[in-house]
Amino acid sequence: MTEKNWFEILFLSTIFFMLACGDGQAEIKINCVDCHTSAKFKTAYKQSVHGNIGCKGCHEDIKSLDRHVIKKEKPSLISCGKCHGEIDKVYKNSFHYLYEDFRCYDCHYEIHELKPEKEHFKIAVAKNCTKCHTNEEYALSGHGAAVMKGNKDSATCSDCHGLHDTKAYHTSTELYSLEAREFYNRTCKSCHSNKEMMNRNGLSPDTVRYYEETYHGKVQDLGYPTSVAGCADCHTTHNILAKEHPDSAVNPKNLTKNCEKCHHRIHPRFAEYKAHPDFKDRKRYPLLYISFVSMVVLLLVTFAFYWTHTLLWWRKVYWEKHRLEQLGIKLESPFTHEENIQEIRRFSLKDRIMHVLLIISFFGLVITGFPIKYHSVPWAKVLINVMGGAHNAGIYHRFAAIILIGLFLVAMYRCIRFLFPKGFGKKDRKGWLDRLFGPDSLMPNKQDWQQFKAMVRWFFNKGEYPKFDRWTYWEKFDFLAVFWGMFIIGGSGITLWAPELASYVYPGWVFNIASILHSEEALLAALFIFTVHFFNTHLIPTKFPMDPIIFTGSYKLEELWRSRTLEYERLKEENRLEELKIKHPGLVLKIVSSMFGYTSLLIGIIFTLIILWTFFFG
Amino acid sequence: MVLRLLTALIVVLTVFLSCTATLPQKTDESYIEPAQAAVLIKEKGAVFVDTMGYLECMDHRIPGSLCIALEEFEIKSQTSLKDKEQHIIFYCESDECLRAGQTYKKAKTLGYKNIYILNGGLPAWKRAGYEIESQQRIKRAPVVSIKPHMLKNLIKEKKGLFILDIRSEDLYKAGHIDGAVNIPLYTLHNRLKEIPKNNPVLVIDENGKRSFLVCCWLINNGVKDVIRFYGGMKYKEIQERKG
Repeated sequence: MTEKNWFEILFLSTIFFMLACGDGQAEIKINCVDCHTSAKFKTAYKQSVHGNIGCKGCHEDIKSLDRHVIKKEKPSLISCGKCHGEIDKVYKNSFHYLYEDFRCYDCHYEIHELKPEKEHFKIAVAKNCTKCHTNEEYALSGHGAAVMKGNKDSATCSDCHGLHDTKAYHTSTELYSLEAREFYNRTCKSCHSNKEMMNRNGLSPDTVRYYEETYHGKVQDLGYPTSVAGCADCHTTHNILAKEHPDSAVNPKNLTKNCEKCHHRIHPRFAEYKAHPDFKDRKRYPLLYISFVSMVVLLLVTFAFYWTHTLLWWRKVYWEKHRLEQLGIKLESPFTHEENIQEIRRFSLKDRIMHVLLIISFFGLVITGFPIKYHSVPWAKVLINVMGGAHNAGIYHRFAAIILIGLFLVAMYRCIRFLFPKGFGKKDRKGWLDRLFGPDSLMPNKQDWQQFKAMVRWFFNKGEYPKFDRWTYWEKFDFLAVFWGMFIIGGSGITLWAPELASYVYPGWVFNIASILHSEEALLAALFIFTVHFFNTHLIPTKFPMDPIIFTGSYKLEELWRSRTLEYERLKEENRLEELKIKHPGLVLKIVSSMFGYTSLLIGIIFTLIILWTFFFG
Repeated sequence: MVLRLLTALIVVLTVFLSCTATLPQKTDESYIEPAQAAVLIKEKGAVFVDTMGYLECMDHRIPGSLCIALEEFEIKSQTSLKDKEQHIIFYCESDECLRAGQTYKKAKTLGYKNIYILNGGLPAWKRAGYEIESQQRIKRAPVVSIKPHMLKNLIKEKKGLFILDIRSEDLYKAGHIDGAVNIPLYTLHNRLKEIPKNNPVLVIDENGKRSFLVCCWLINNGVKDVIRFYGGMKYKEIQERKG
């Protein structure tokens, strides 16, 4: 038996003797370090961060020292959560605990010697994490280099991944790719939208805001991050470098390759797309600025004119209706009862089908497109969720767009057939100009200008209600606005639909312009239809709440005479009234028309209210 | 007038509601939640079966679990689970792991009647706030890892690199890195001698979730230079697909 063994037996016997003789009240002056004699427990522990709580502060479950010394009572695993409750709570949901079963001491190596961190906290975190997570890319990155230089703002491991609350996103298997992308985008944005922090480091604090105004940013915000560029998709993850660095993913030399990760088969000029431009910055982005300002001016002028027109019209009609009611005057009709109930065809079946399809496609486009435009407000997120995500909304949007494009082409064809009813033969060419500016055409002419002036005079009680032919000037505007708007909204929409293909025609910055045009033209179209068109056609007091003529196709002879006096006189003179007389629309058609019409009106009015609410308060 | 507007409102709401997506309900009765498992243990005397390797099971498991790896179930069940009426709950290390489901199928074929799978595996059990136990905890150690694109350089730089593939025999046969030696994790604790302690060792698993513990175990057992293959073979395949 060695000398050491003899010493141990003697030491333990002494302790036994002392314990056996004790009456339970006597103090036993035994220190843990009498047995645990290594320098770690004797000296280093006292100087550690936990030095003042003593051994039993953690090893509290050792109840019987005599059983402990003969190794029959061992300390169980330490619960750090007893003191570090908050950390313990979040740690229990972290990746390291749930999947790797890490305990506190697995990262806080040598817990008995743990000292307050002398060096910069961020550097200490980076050093500790990289013991397992070797990442040369991070060390060479802008973030890593800045942290090592002592920058207190730059991102260390825990700033993105969490410290004790590392998320259970194991990106290697791409199992939680959606959650991971949302989480990391949020993390990037939280620092890069911090004004003070960005200004301190010479970076733009508005980059995030500008990104969120792009298609990528809007869709990402709505929860479709798997197929739209988030921060890391362009800037990469651990090896983020300044744009000027030749290895940077966003260096102009590497940009095409970078875009190609998502946008396949692109022309190099695709990369000229601006990922987060400030389109209000005239100096840096003059074309975007001009596009934006032009659209704003167009919107302001259009609405200033038409809302004033609408308001004056409503006043005049309402006042007039009130006056007639007050005086008990009923409008007289020059027709007999039989003539009065006679229905006159105004819209053909083709017209009506086209209008129904137009309503369906238009509402489809508005419902699926506006949540993207106003992505940050609650109703947008609700609508997108109802549609099953922005991806589905995109599919529906394209489907509705196909219908609209189809209608546009049919309208074009019908215009040509209207001008050249028998083809392009020499005989037909003679009359096409007459037809173009004739009473059945939607082309504005001198008479419209006269009627407009007469209408304004009527608004101010300075003249009679003008006599109209088949189409009024506001109806012609309705048609032509949609017709010309199709070139802007359709052209920009097709560009944004297939940007890869479009890059072979024009450079990437055109997509930025297309986004502005598409978005603002959509606002113009939706608000125009839901306010001006709805009022002119349905909400005017004489027709309130709805005029179903576009669905039923006909109106009474008296209505023709009253609202289209010139047309009535012309038809009568040409003896064409007979051919336009049709039967009263059936009950089924009337019910279906009402259902469809009221639904459309209601959706339109709801959308107007939420658009205006978003515009002013969103 | 009011009636018309009301009808219109109903139509709009119907259209909206009909578009609302409904989530499919999980109908598979074989999956049970941690709270249901706890009740089964109390009321039916159910036992947990950890389907991971022996080293993993001994490192951390649901208290009282039997350590029966997927690959050993046919043999070990003959002695450990003789009663085919016994309530058994299988689990593995994550919701991504397929081993519990595979063992469940084997058990079903063998005639076990009251068998279940713990939905979400061990992480779900922990999340629900239940305790776990460690019989032979492997001390964690710093482990260097490499990503697939670094493999070629590693082979060049580290002379005598021992590539240890700890996946099952079947997965290994289906495809492996050239020169890799297959010692399935469920047999590893008995085959330490086959691993050269003085050579660098690269540990490869299925999805990067099992190799870390093995690396720590090797370090604790005297292997000096241990490297982990980040993300396992699954990550390598994903990266290769992406090009």
